[in-house]
Order: sequence, then structure tokens, then C-alpha cells
Amino acid sequence: MRFRIYRYDPESGNKPSMRDYELDIDPQGRKVLDALIAIKDTLDESLSFRRSCREGVCGSDGVNVNGANVLACITPLEGLKEPIEIRPLPRLGVIRDLIVDMAQFYQHYRAVKPYLINLDPEPENERLQSPEDRAELDGLWECILCGCCTTSCPSFWWNPDKFLGPAALLQGYRFIADTRDQATDERLDFLEDPYRLFRCHGIMNCVEVCPKNLNPTQAIGKIKTLLVKRAL
Amino acid sequence: MRRVGGARRGLDMWLAQRAGAIYMALFLPLFLLLALAAPSLDYAGWRALFLPLGMKVATLLFFAALLAHAWIGLREIFIDYLHCARCVMLRLSLYFAVAALYLACLVWAADILWSVR
Repeated sequence: MRFRIYRYDPESGNKPSMRDYELDIDPQGRKVLDALIAIKDTLDESLSFRRSCREGVCGSDGVNVNGANVLACITPLEGLKEPIEIRPLPRLGVIRDLIVDMAQFYQHYRAVKPYLINLDPEPENERLQSPEDRAELDGLWECILCGCCTTSCPSFWWNPDKFLGPAALLQGYRFIADTRDQATDERLDFLEDPYRLFRCHGIMNCVEVCPKNLNPTQAIGKIKTLLVKRAL
Repeated sequence: MRRVGGARRGLDMWLAQRAGAIYMALFLPLFLLLALAAPSLDYAGWRALFLPLGMKVATLLFFAALLAHAWIGLREIFIDYLHCARCVMLRLSLYFAVAALYLACLVWAADILWSVR
């Protein structure tokens, strides 16, 4: 199979470029990550990429394959148009080859305070929730922070320093929706901003690429609904 | 310099744009129905359509909604694409320029509507 892979080595002083590889691999049942590992093992040991769990749980191998952000470990080689173009996630700074600088992404994640804020004395065992209240969190907690959604969002491309991006907003809503959390108002105050939240124009690129099939656009819509309810 | 943020704004614009969209979505089919139901669409028929005060007010509201919708949309585009360090002044000037132009259009629309007697 033929591959075109984005290569960049800051120490070499060369500009980023695409390099072609011809790999002898049976695509049947194999994933993009298998090909990347095979290229590194047999063709070019200088190729750099992140990977860890290799089964779509850790979210570290988000890359852009043939123009779409995916997790390399769960994307089948079968059916991909050749040459298969593999690039780093868009808009983030490239550290080397397919490895991007996630600092901006994590900064936005930290900004939504992704933890339970509850000032009541801690109970003996745990803070209980009804099954219905717990069900509110489904479709939110599963996010693995791979960055596929945020880096596919044009609003993030234009304002990466100010727009929080779909991943951080989904996580923001995960704690707004949590009945055990007591900081809903502060969270909404933080999000009510022309940039942080309202750069989202609902084009749903995030929904299309999410490898966990989550729906950040819906979460953002629910935040807007809560803001309206609060204002009226 | 410290970065400022958390303007506690944005909701009003977002809501106004949607309210305007709903009004337009209601007005346009009703207007089309009325226009199609008119006996004739020559000058006399068109004039009769716009003669009642209710029609004048509803049409003026339609233009107000359209222009507000367009202004908020342009504001979004300016925020999206004009964000260099020195773009604040440019954005502000554009907001005012477009707002002035659209307000003029609104007054013009009112003038046209109320000229039908």
C-alpha cells in the first residue's frame, strides 16, 4: 500500500514535507496504526507518532488521514484511498512528524474546571445520584480528549486562543449537567462570552469526526438553552 | 499584557438573530400566500396589498428582522476572521459602518412602504 506521510524534524532545519512510503501490508483487518508501526519498524525508524493503548481508549493517536481527523488505531486500512495521506491534527503546532503540541487544547480543558465543585461536607461513602440524573451524563463522560473534534472546527482554527472548542465545551457541559455539582452559575458565567462559547456556529464538524460518536454540538446547544433559561 | 475575557455577552445577539429568523420564517410564507391569493398582481393589486396599515407594519418588521439578522451575521464574520492585534478598531468601525448603512435601508424601506396611499 502507498502512504504519504507528513514529516517534520525541527532539529534538521528543513521545512515540513510529505514523504512517500510503499509498504507491503495486507489491509484485511488491519488499522492505520498497524501500518504506521510497520513503517517505523521496517522502512523508516525516524518516523515519530504518539500511540499507547492501540484500541481507541487513550486518545493519543489522533491524526488526519485523507483529510479527516481520526484515531489511527481504530481506522481500518481497508477502503482508504491510496496514497493514504497522513498528517498531524490541523491547527496545533507540530513538535515533530505526527506529534502535535496539545498545550492550547489542554489549557481550554483546564479552563472549564473539569472536576466536581461541591462545598458540602463530604459524605461517609459517596455522593449519591438518581439513575435518571446519572443518565444525563451519558454521551458526555466518554470523551477521551483526543482532540479530533476541536482541531476539525474552523472556529477553533480562526480563534484558537479564545474559542474553547467542542471538546472543552462538551466537558464543560458534563459538569454543568452533573446534579452533584454546585457551581453551575459560575460555569455559565465563564462560558457566556462572544468567543469562548458563541464562536460555535453549529456546523457539526465535531460530531462528524468524534471517534467515540459523541455530540459536542448538542452539548453546546444545551449550554445555550440553559443560558437562555437563566436570562429569561 | 493580561488577556481579558468573560464578556458575559453574546447570548443577546444569538437570541436576537434566532428571534428574527423565526419572524421571517413566519412572515414570508404568509406574505406569499396573500400575494398569490390577490386577484391580480398588477400595480393596482400590489398597491391594494400594501395599503392596510397592518401589512405596512408587518413588512417593516420583516425588514427590521432581516437587517438585524444580517448585521449580527456580519458581526460574527468580523469576529471570526478579523482578529489581528490591531483589528479591534477596524472591527468597531465596520460594526458602525454596516449598522449605519442598514439603518438607512430600514428608513428607506419605511419611506417606500408609507408612500403607498
